Amino acid sequence: MKIGIPRALLYYYYHPLWKTFFEKLGFEVVTSGKTTKELIDKGIKASVPEICVPIKIFNGHVLELLEAGVDYIFIPRMMSTRKGEFYCPKFMGLPDMVRYSIPGAKDKILFPKVTSLTDDISDFKIYSEMGETLGVSNKQIKAALLDGQKAWIEFRRITKEGYTALEVLDYVETGKKPQNPIKDYRVTIGLMGYVYDVYDEFVSMGIVDKLREMGVLVETFEMMDENLLDAELSDMNKRLFWTFSNKLLAAGYKFFKDGHIDGIIHVTAFGCGPDSLIGKIMELDSNEFGKPFMTIRVDEHTGENHLLTRIEAFIDMIYREKVKVKKEA
Amino acid sequence: MKVAFPYMGTTVIYKKLIELLGHDVVEPPEPTQRTIELGVKYSPEFACFPLKVVLGSYIEAVELGATTIVTSGGHGPCRAGFYGETHKKILRNLGYDVDIIVFDDYKSDKTGTIKKVRRLKNGKSWFYLWKSLKTVYSMAKSLDNIEKRIEKMRAYEVNRGECTKAWQTIKTWFDEVENIEDVRKTEGKSNKLLGEIKLIEVPEPNKIKIGIVGEIYVVMEQSINLRIEEMLGGLGAEVERSQYLSKWIDFNLLPKGIGKEHELNILKKGEKYIQEIIGGHAKQTVGHIVDYAERGFDGVVHLMPFACLPELVSQSIIPAISKEHNIPVITLSIDEQTGAANTLTRMEAFMDLIKSIKRTKIA
Ligand code: SF4
Ligand code: SF4
Repeated sequence: MKIGIPRALLYYYYHPLWKTFFEKLGFEVVTSGKTTKELIDKGIKASVPEICVPIKIFNGHVLELLEAGVDYIFIPRMMSTRKGEFYCPKFMGLPDMVRYSIPGAKDKILFPKVTSLTDDISDFKIYSEMGETLGVSNKQIKAALLDGQKAWIEFRRITKEGYTALEVLDYVETGKKPQNPIKDYRVTIGLMGYVYDVYDEFVSMGIVDKLREMGVLVETFEMMDENLLDAELSDMNKRLFWTFSNKLLAAGYKFFKDGHIDGIIHVTAFGCGPDSLIGKIMELDSNEFGKPFMTIRVDEHTGENHLLTRIEAFIDMIYREKVKVKKEA
Repeated sequence: MKVAFPYMGTTVIYKKLIELLGHDVVEPPEPTQRTIELGVKYSPEFACFPLKVVLGSYIEAVELGATTIVTSGGHGPCRAGFYGETHKKILRNLGYDVDIIVFDDYKSDKTGTIKKVRRLKNGKSWFYLWKSLKTVYSMAKSLDNIEKRIEKMRAYEVNRGECTKAWQTIKTWFDEVENIEDVRKTEGKSNKLLGEIKLIEVPEPNKIKIGIVGEIYVVMEQSINLRIEEMLGGLGAEVERSQYLSKWIDFNLLPKGIGKEHELNILKKGEKYIQEIIGGHAKQTVGHIVDYAERGFDGVVHLMPFACLPELVSQSIIPAISKEHNIPVITLSIDEQTGAANTLTRMEAFMDLIKSIKRTKIA
């Protein structure tokens, strides 16, 4: 049996868990390919126009998996991974949207409901409902989850050493240890953005690599410890409803306060409601902290050159400032 | 303490409650173009359209002298819960000295709620408060019944606008009630007034019924939904909304087990399409569409604020529901740029579609 996993949304955060889980159960896991222009175009056609770009992309990946003839597509219903918080409504309704708007998807979706108190979502209760459909026993599920959990914890551990999700996903897959993140850099940037924006090479156009080529050390929210991050938002009034948005916001505050971060770039995809909120909060606070802040909003058609020029200008500006301050000191 | 409240739907009801508790009421004016402009100007860009209009309405209330605003926080998980906080911040930044009392879900914060109630109770006894609440609740029920009647009658009035005019009059009558007895009398008087309106006779099978579903604010507040009910009435359709204030009270404020069957039933009908409560009213939206289809309505208008997160989920699923239940549905996404003329054209086309379906059904 073939189980499809779309290379989109939380693939970039949970894939090691899910892939290991299904493989241990003896299934073949088919991951859709990288996002391409064609794939996006298909996704756009299958989506309502006002919806955010990441969901359109997700739909494109689902279509690709359906074409590839998988038996099931795994689209968990992400509800909550922290007490009192939820996922963006589009995540909570994602399996419903796919089942009823993508032709041929209806009976092929596995959509266990994910409610958990922590980011570790390898709890048996979440996955047990799939046992019957997949024809596997509770015992098998438990064993597979243990392995999945291990893979995920390892994935998270290495990420926190400063590697990008892409590098670590690759490592988990191939066993090839990523090279050290760059040692010589002139500027450090805190990069804010959902994993599915930053690491989808079509959305962010490989922004991490581009920055590194410019001699920039990049830090992202997933490279930080969850608990430390969470503590940044101890002031409840600052909390939003959505877990991943809170992670971004917390990272943003940390970047503001952290002396070794020279500037912040927020990558966001067109049509994201929560992000427009975060962007505004950051913009207001960036004046207070006096740290350069830039937003890169990507839509279905943004041109790469234009993006590159803006990033270059931003980094140069920060670098010049830095040199000037050093001279004055 | 001069108290105001957000403008949504039949506001005489909130007004009455605050009055009965002995406060000065500042009634915010019905949202106009100015309200919307104020709201858009001072709200952050990201804010949902309802948040902007409500802010505009608060500013106008404060201009009229309000010192306290009472509102409900709305229920997560959506941006609605964020409204109170954001509004407070913006008003303060604008230099307005105003207090916003937000009633959040009382189950999650009982002591906080009781404290807030004590403040508003204004030294009146709990018994008096209870009596006032009962009066206001019966008023809400009564007004909703009358409004439902009007929503049907409008399609057939001989003189355009007569029903809407009567509705205005009726609301001013209700503004005078003081107890349940008054409510009953006023309801009688109102029904009499409505009975006098001349209507065209239309045979039952030719009647066109349209349900209106979607996010609560744009469904309930006529001044920002381009008076969609009057528009559809003018085109000859009876309408019914998914939300009425009294039902909202039943579901959100009454204790467990009372008056909730209707809403629970609707949620159940939506279950097949959206399994969980995903925020806002998305699950109710799909449930109501199924309900309208089952009750033989001819079409549904789905209203949502532009880019509303949960309603985008319902919008994505609606074509499937529409097909499975054989009922035409049109989505209207609303913000400050939605034009009346364009909407009218779309509604006319929608009515033509419904009529042609009806003709083939009858033939
Ligand atoms: S958080 Fe933003 S980008 Fe992600 S699904 Fe929700 S609206 Fe889309
Ligand atoms: S339900 Fe829609 S309009 Fe209401 S807060 Fe959420 S996104 Fe905004």
